[in-house]
This record gives sequence, C-alpha cells and structure tokens, in this order.
Amino acid sequence: MKAKLADKILKWARTRSLWVTHFNTGGCNGCDIELVAIFTPRYDVERFGIMLKGSPRHADVLAVTGPVTRQVRDRLLTIYEQIPEPKHVIAIGTCAVSGAPFWDGYNVIGGVDKIVPIDVYVPGCPPRPEAIIYGFKKLIKKMEAEEDIE
Amino acid sequence: MVSETLIFLGQVLIFPGFLFIILLAFFAEWAVRKITGRIQNRLGPTYTGYMGILQPIADFIKLLRKEDITPTMADKIFFLIFPIMYFSLPLTAFSLIPMTEVQALTYFEGDLILLTFIFTIITAMVFLGGFSSGNIFSIVGGTRSATQLLGYEIPLVFTLLCPAIPAGSFSLTTIVEWQQNNSWIIWTQPLGFGIILTCMLAELELTPFDAPEAETEIVAGSITEFSGVKLALIRLGKNIKLVLASSLISALYLGGPEQLWILPPIMIFLIKVFVVLFLMVSLRAIFARFRIDQILAGMWKYLIPLAVTQFLLTKILWGW
Repeated sequence: MKAKLADKILKWARTRSLWVTHFNTGGCNGCDIELVAIFTPRYDVERFGIMLKGSPRHADVLAVTGPVTRQVRDRLLTIYEQIPEPKHVIAIGTCAVSGAPFWDGYNVIGGVDKIVPIDVYVPGCPPRPEAIIYGFKKLIKKMEAEEDIE
Repeated sequence: MVSETLIFLGQVLIFPGFLFIILLAFFAEWAVRKITGRIQNRLGPTYTGYMGILQPIADFIKLLRKEDITPTMADKIFFLIFPIMYFSLPLTAFSLIPMTEVQALTYFEGDLILLTFIFTIITAMVFLGGFSSGNIFSIVGGTRSATQLLGYEIPLVFTLLCPAIPAGSFSLTTIVEWQQNNSWIIWTQPLGFGIILTCMLAELELTPFDAPEAETEIVAGSITEFSGVKLALIRLGKNIKLVLASSLISALYLGGPEQLWILPPIMIFLIKVFVVLFLMVSLRAIFARFRIDQILAGMWKYLIPLAVTQFLLTKILWGW
C-alpha cells in the first residue's frame, strides 16, 4: 500500500513536469517554428509544466522534426543516449513520422522510428501548434497508463 | 536543559530552519515563474495544484528519480561535491539572518564578513563545477561566472558593509537592532540599495547578467552535464540563494523583522522579502542579456565609483 502511494506521487510528478529538448534531423524548419510556437504567450505550455531545455541531460522528452538523413543518424543516437532514463520521444511532422516525401532519397534513411523508439506520432506538414499540444497530452495519457514505473 | 536543546534543534531543523526555508524556496520559484509569466502576458504554471503552486515540487520529485549520469570525462569527486555544496552553503548562511525576531539563530561580531565569504565561495563552486564536468560549454560557463565575479564583487562588498558604519558593528543582528531604534537604512543610503540590487542580480545570474548560463550560446553553462538528483539539488540551491539574497537585502536595508500592530515579525519580514524578490524578478523579465565584456566594463566604470561614493558619503555623514 505504501509503495503504491509512492508510485502514485512519482507518476503525478512525472506527468506534470515534461522537459523537452528539440532536435532537427534534417527538416525544412517548418515544424521547428510550429514547435517553438507552443512555448510562446499565445499557446504557453508552461501551464502544463512543459518547458524547453537546451541540454539533453535535463530533458525527459526528445522532440524530433524532419526525415533522418544518413549524416545525422549518429548524432540522433548520441542525443538520444544522453537523455537520462525514463525518456520518451515525440515525432513531429510527416517527415519525422515516415520520411515522406523524401522516403526514397539517396541520403535519407526514412522516419525517426527506424533509429529510435517513438511514443507519439504527430503528423502534418507542418502540424498546427494545437496538434502538437494534443500530442503531448497523448504522451501524458500514455505515461499515466504505464504499469511498471521504473 | 534538555528542553532547551530540543527547542534549538526544532529551530534549526523546522522553523525557521531547514524545512521552512526549503518550502519557502519552492514557493519563491513558483512566484518567480508566475510573475515572469504575467509580465510576458502568459499564465505560467496553472494546472499543478492550486494555480500551479505545486509545480516546483513536481519538478523536484521527478528529478529525484531520474537516471544519474556521470560523464566519462568528468572529475568524479568535484562532480559529486558541487551540487552538495551549492545546496548546503546558502542553507547554512540562513542561520545568520534574523527572521523571526531581531536576533538571528547564531550571531557574533563579524557575521556579515562570513556572509560575503559564503557568497564568494558559492561562485567559486560554480567555477569548479563547470571545470569538473569536462564539457566545453560547462568550462566556458564556469569561466564566465568567475570573470563576472571580478566585476560585481567589489561594489557588492562595499554596499554590504556600508550599513555597518552607522550601526558601528559588523554583526547583522546589531544592524537590524540599530534600524529599529533609528530609521531604515534605505532612507539614508538609497544609492547603496540600488547598487546592492544590481550586484545581487549578477550574483544570482539573473537575466541582465546571465551570460554564465546563456541558453542560446552555451546551453546551460556550468550545469549542462548534471542530471537526476544532482540537478534537483542545484535547482533547489539556486532557489534558496534567491531567497537568501532577498532576505539579506531586506534585513540590511529595509529594517528586517519588526512587530507591526498585531502582525508577527515573521509576516512583516516575508512581505519585505517578497517585495525585494518582485523587484528583482521584474528587472529580470524586462531586460535583455549583456555580453560578458559589457558586464565587466559597466561594473568597473559606473558601479564601483558609485559604491565608493556611497561609502565616502556614509563615512562623512556618520563621522570618521
């Protein structure tokens, strides 16, 4: 019973304090502008405790935009490994979801899910800020449903 | 005898000791984020607890259970020592500040000098922590922090010691006592109040002087590599330092704790602390960042002559 209460408090803390680090794997900057827009006064996701952090060491969520190119593959893996556990990944924009329309490019590997595991997909070219906030809400729902908290 | 020891332990650990100060630090972070949000036409934290008041506590609990990474390039010992010192030094300094009554928990002739020493050691710790991380951003951040110290240290020490001249003592408790018998020091030394506010902004690395942790240039400065428990302690230490700076200013210049009508002294003291905090956060929200060379040049050209002027004026006014 006691352990259960501690788990509940931990889950409450984790779902209310998502710190995001942002990485562009070779996109056109369209999704980046929309992602940054959710931290502006108009959308202000600090209401939910979501903050943008510069260092991957401080982050809980990796927000990836753009199709993964061959050159950026190693950098993406480095950034992913630098985030301390537990970590989650959000793919923002159709490019990050599947690589389209660059899926058969000579230097493109494809979507982000070919390199790192992804929790939430947010399609759109670019997705509206509301859609990105909805994606974060889905991630919070998923974290609340997770059974083993470690 | 035993009960006296128990009361003293309670004062150190609970009220107005460690527990009270840590809760106050969490409340201060919430206030800072909310005030900054309102100034920037945002809402700030809203859904975590009533008006988001539990937001700093949620951040803290989350960070406690994150993975704790020590980089391969890091100096293991100093990487471990820096968060502990950064958290415990301001907490220790609080026992010298009178909060519930005119007398502080511990006081002796010269505790003001110990306080200036603690402030310097904290900055030295930031420098050491930056170098121990083995990250290029951390090293640049630590170096900037130490460079900035060369600018603000001298006016800060001048304005910390100016209130000691009329009181005739280097003890914070005696200065507060003198202010209650005569007048608040801000009325006789308004220039010193402005200088100490500016220097504390630099000491706390708040926005006009936040070159040491400029996010757009060097990621997070000297704390770039810290994660998990260490980051939680560093963030809490930063908040405690914020409250420490505000309460030091309100004890030195605004008269400290005093009984007003039926309000207890601690209430009056907290009101003063949050007035100073509000001033500092407003300055932080409305200014843009200076470059490190601009900070140093400005401090040496304008702030140090002003501080010396204030010192000489006080000396002439209160007699040699």
